[in-house]
Amino acid sequence: MFDLILKNITQRKLRTGLTIFGIALGIFAVIVMGGMSEHFNQTFDRSISLTADKIRVFPEIGFGGGNLNESKAREIKRVPGVADAYGLLQAALDPESLGFFGGDAVIGVEPEKIPSLLKDTKLTDGRFLAVGDGYRTVLGSSVAREFNLKAGDEIQIKSKRVQRASSITHARNFTVVGIMEYTGSFFDNGVMIPLNIAQKFYDRGDTVSFILAVPDEGVDAEDLSKRIELNVEKIKTFSPEQLRKQIEQSLVVFTLITISAAVLAAIIGGLSVMNTMLMSVSERTKEFGLMKALGAETRDILYMTMGESAIMGILGGIVGIIGGGALVYYLNDFLASRGTILFSVTPRLLIISIVFSTLLGVISGLYPAYRAAKMSPMEALRYE
Amino acid sequence: MNEPILRVRNLSKTYMQGKIPVHALSDVSFDVQKGEFLSIVGPSGSGKSTFLSMIGLLDKPTSGSVFIDGVEVTKAKDSEAPVIRRQKIGFVFQHFNLIPTLSAQENVDIAMRFARMPKSRRKERSIELLTQMGLRDRMNHKPSELSGGEQQRVAIARAMANNPAIILADEPTGEVDTKTRDMIVELLRGLSDNGQTILVVTHDIAVSSKTRRIISMRDGMIESDKIIKTNL
Repeated sequence: MFDLILKNITQRKLRTGLTIFGIALGIFAVIVMGGMSEHFNQTFDRSISLTADKIRVFPEIGFGGGNLNESKAREIKRVPGVADAYGLLQAALDPESLGFFGGDAVIGVEPEKIPSLLKDTKLTDGRFLAVGDGYRTVLGSSVAREFNLKAGDEIQIKSKRVQRASSITHARNFTVVGIMEYTGSFFDNGVMIPLNIAQKFYDRGDTVSFILAVPDEGVDAEDLSKRIELNVEKIKTFSPEQLRKQIEQSLVVFTLITISAAVLAAIIGGLSVMNTMLMSVSERTKEFGLMKALGAETRDILYMTMGESAIMGILGGIVGIIGGGALVYYLNDFLASRGTILFSVTPRLLIISIVFSTLLGVISGLYPAYRAAKMSPMEALRYE
Repeated sequence: MNEPILRVRNLSKTYMQGKIPVHALSDVSFDVQKGEFLSIVGPSGSGKSTFLSMIGLLDKPTSGSVFIDGVEVTKAKDSEAPVIRRQKIGFVFQHFNLIPTLSAQENVDIAMRFARMPKSRRKERSIELLTQMGLRDRMNHKPSELSGGEQQRVAIARAMANNPAIILADEPTGEVDTKTRDMIVELLRGLSDNGQTILVVTHDIAVSSKTRRIISMRDGMIESDKIIKTNL
């Protein structure tokens, strides 16, 4: 029966082609939007996994606002259960051209804390920062690719300082001493410099953006997070779990928006299948009547009509995946030269896309198939 | 005498045209023996096509019974009707009703697909039937590439594909010229000579005169039932 299905599909090439194109557009949207959502989810997961064991400590008035004195790290370290605590200073690499997706960031960190911060992340070139390093930097893989840098090269970092009513931009070259491997986390867009140099360069005195508290082995991070808040004044903590929940919430909204748009596009594709199949069933009324007169059962007619719509769905899915995959590949390639990657076409996304397109074809073919199968053979044979 | 291959008993069909009942068939009864070649004739509206639909399980009677090969087909459930159609009945239509996208061989093959016959057997049988119809060299042609007579021969091959107990032919020569008509009637007679029961509904006296029995219908009833002794 499968050969009959293929014959019917190939018989009306233009119509079949346009229907497949309709589905393909929908799946194209699923791949592009879904790929973006997958990438954000992956980045979030990898970033969290690198710092999942640490508690983040912010100034009481909130993220980004206010300053956190480095001395707080010493206070936090005294809280029972805290193995270590150290501050990080974070700033935009180029404050004058912030990208839509955040862009590259300078991370000021004490060189001796890097093993704790980056865990087992390796270098592809050069060395990590060492105590006593001055205007030296270790770059994330995306930054290195964006500026085409290797160990020994120099990178210009800008700082914007507000003085009276105006802001002055300072620029300074830092020598690259190492390039990190690709981690899939936000560290790929990081430019690591020694904390004391960052504080001086950004004129931040002895303040930091936030502090990471490392719990002792076996200590519950949630409990410790609360204890730190109770023991240290004017700070706010975010346990790994709280942070995960907060980011997940914002990612859920983003995922919903992107997936809804893609699903809507795919449903429009599904309607085109339904339209085509209704036309096809109507045109072949007499043919179905004849088949019934020849002894075809309801399931034979259902199988044939739904088979046609399912195959159109599958073909649409394949074309959509190829088209979407190609666009994502070229966009990623283009964006990589600008230091960012926006899409990840994961096996999960591919499976979802092909299953979705097949289901779309089958579901869209249900009603036309039902109409074809329920036809009275006598009325169908009389149909002109 | 052998058990008749077709037994019709008190068959009636009444349609409602608005609130007015129309008696398309009234108390029709007769028997057909295996291998008979008979025609049902009558003017338009005499009930002959309605009658054919009842035997072919394309429509249900208001009352009465039809037995084909000993099975009461009028009692069949909707789910059983396709099985009876493909096992007991072969249809030949006036407009050939071949599937335009399929070749002659595929049009014969499709009847056997629904009977779940294995592919190799289907191929063998369709070639055998088309050869019997003199269409061996036209097997891969589509209906649009065949003449009316060739198309009707494909339709007859298709009707015979599942070795049915009876072939029901509804105006099988209505769309062809006289030469082709004679050839089709001869073909049907030849099949009948080989034991195939064939029931032809026709307006054409030239066709009915070549059958061995003529049932005339008028106003939904049998007007006459004649055995033709001397045939061509």
